[in-house]
Amino acid sequence: MNSDIYREKLIHKGAEANLYYGQWFNKKVIFKRRVPKRYRLEELDKRIRTERTLNEARALIRAKNYGVNIPQVYEIDVQNSTIVMKYIEGEKLKKILRTLDNNKKEEYFKKIGRDIAILHKNGHIHGDITTSNLIITQNEDIFIIDFGLHENSDKIEDKSVDLHLFKRVLISSHGKDYEVCFNAFIQGYISECEKENKNECNLIIKNINAIETRGRYVKSEDRL
Amino acid sequence: MKKLCLGIESTAHTFSVGILDFDGEVYSLINDIFMPEEGGLHPALVREQHLNNFMKIVNRALSVAKISVKNINLIAFSQSPGLGPVLKIGAWVARMLSQVLVIPIVGVNHCIAHIEIGRLKCSIEDPLTLYVSGGNTIVSAFESERYQIFGETLDLPIGNMIDSFARDAGLQHPGGPKIEKLALESKKYIPLPYLVKGMDLSFSGLYTSAKKLLVSTDFNKKYNLNDTAYSLQETAFAMLTEVTERALAHTEKKEVLLTGGVAANKRLQQMVEYISKEHNARFEVVPLKYAGDNGVMIGWTGILRYKAEGGHEIAETIIKPKERMDQITVPWRSEN
Ligand SMILES: Nc1ncnc2c1ncn2[C@@H]1O[C@H](COP(=O)(O)OP(=O)(O)O)[C@@H](O)[C@H]1O
Ligand SMILES: [Mg+2]
Repeated sequence: MNSDIYREKLIHKGAEANLYYGQWFNKKVIFKRRVPKRYRLEELDKRIRTERTLNEARALIRAKNYGVNIPQVYEIDVQNSTIVMKYIEGEKLKKILRTLDNNKKEEYFKKIGRDIAILHKNGHIHGDITTSNLIITQNEDIFIIDFGLHENSDKIEDKSVDLHLFKRVLISSHGKDYEVCFNAFIQGYISECEKENKNECNLIIKNINAIETRGRYVKSEDRL
Repeated sequence: MKKLCLGIESTAHTFSVGILDFDGEVYSLINDIFMPEEGGLHPALVREQHLNNFMKIVNRALSVAKISVKNINLIAFSQSPGLGPVLKIGAWVARMLSQVLVIPIVGVNHCIAHIEIGRLKCSIEDPLTLYVSGGNTIVSAFESERYQIFGETLDLPIGNMIDSFARDAGLQHPGGPKIEKLALESKKYIPLPYLVKGMDLSFSGLYTSAKKLLVSTDFNKKYNLNDTAYSLQETAFAMLTEVTERALAHTEKKEVLLTGGVAANKRLQQMVEYISKEHNARFEVVPLKYAGDNGVMIGWTGILRYKAEGGHEIAETIIKPKERMDQITVPWRSEN
């Protein structure tokens, strides 16, 4: 890398990646580097990091076509499992959620619901919708980031799981705001998704509850 | 004399009775574990065994503890979640004892009990818990008055997945320890599906692929059973460790607790310990006796609930096979 491209500082050390703020030909960017995880076999680790890097870069690029705010990708370095993308100036929704009044919460979550429905409609499952992966900018644009667990799918099940994951994050991390936020989110989601196929939309929402009772003894009798 | 509680565990294969005092000192713990000859856990068969044995187990627990049933002050039982027919037996026994002895009864959520006994036995305050067993796979931590579920399996529980694979490979139940042993004999990794969604996991694709390895024409030519056991474990445990690390980064807890039957696996312990260190968190494994399903953990959690809000009315003791641990508050813990 040359002097037009440099990392200024580490801004976030996540479970998976280190994120650096920096410059890329006079643009403010984020370097997202997936770091080796020494608890798992090197071979497996390399495979996962490469897969996720490529997967995220592809998703960021493809999902950008539908009018949903997603950071622009500038460069991909698979060797070092690094993605260079546009720096989005703003605050994580997680951080500011508590400070919002109910009207704002409803407004934002409806918008997020519509955005996710648009992605789903076009076969994009985000895979990790959380309030840390949503950035609100100064002029209140909502950006969706962190597509490492993205999947291409048109299956109802995959869409429901995506919504279920978000629901659980809201319950576990924003218990007191959960109802307002999730209701608005679902309202926004439905308003967009029923334009396409009302029946499927109902099935997706219904299936969220079904997912919650899985993974436990409950039904399969031959399980241990 | 100290107040005593008799705790009854009856959610799945284990019928267990533990006797302990209100300070957490254990006087006895007796288990009766259903071992399927073949196939999995059929509720009707488990139920039959538990029905035949429950009184023996209760009596043995009393005699080992050298305590007369008249000295028991509280009955606790596993009220949720689990197999309905099996939960019912524990509830019947508990109601019967409570009514005959005229002492309070309290129902306990089995998953919460796994965490509470870990907090007691490992002297740990506020852990992120990875609870891995035959019937459950949960990443949980205390937040907003509850044990919240941050991650869980979307399909098969980890222990069930490993035991099923072991069965397919012709190994006797329980397969987990045998798979662990075989895996130690291999260093050859065969790529298998690795599926993490948010902080949730899915093991069904992994299981299907691993099972296919056993019937492939390459089996015992290019690779053997040790290699498949090794690859299955490495993949599944890396997934578990990854979601635990994600939850740890997310909650910023300073303690990590590993519990449930699968917690006995040394390789899993090693992996989870590694990420705990990376996040400067203290790592503890619940002592094996208390990591698997047991009556002491039910008794201890019953004591905690009883001290906080008294016992349950008989009408409140109906079993709840599907109750999630995040559906109930834990009044004995304060917000931190
Ligand atoms: N393009 C971006 N612009 C600004 N901040 C970002 C950007 N991408 C990530 N971040 C910040 O870094 C954090 C972690 O990034 P993320 O891609 O979600 O990785 P992780 O896998 O660690 O969650 C985000 O929560 C956000 O605060
Ligand atoms: Mg993120």
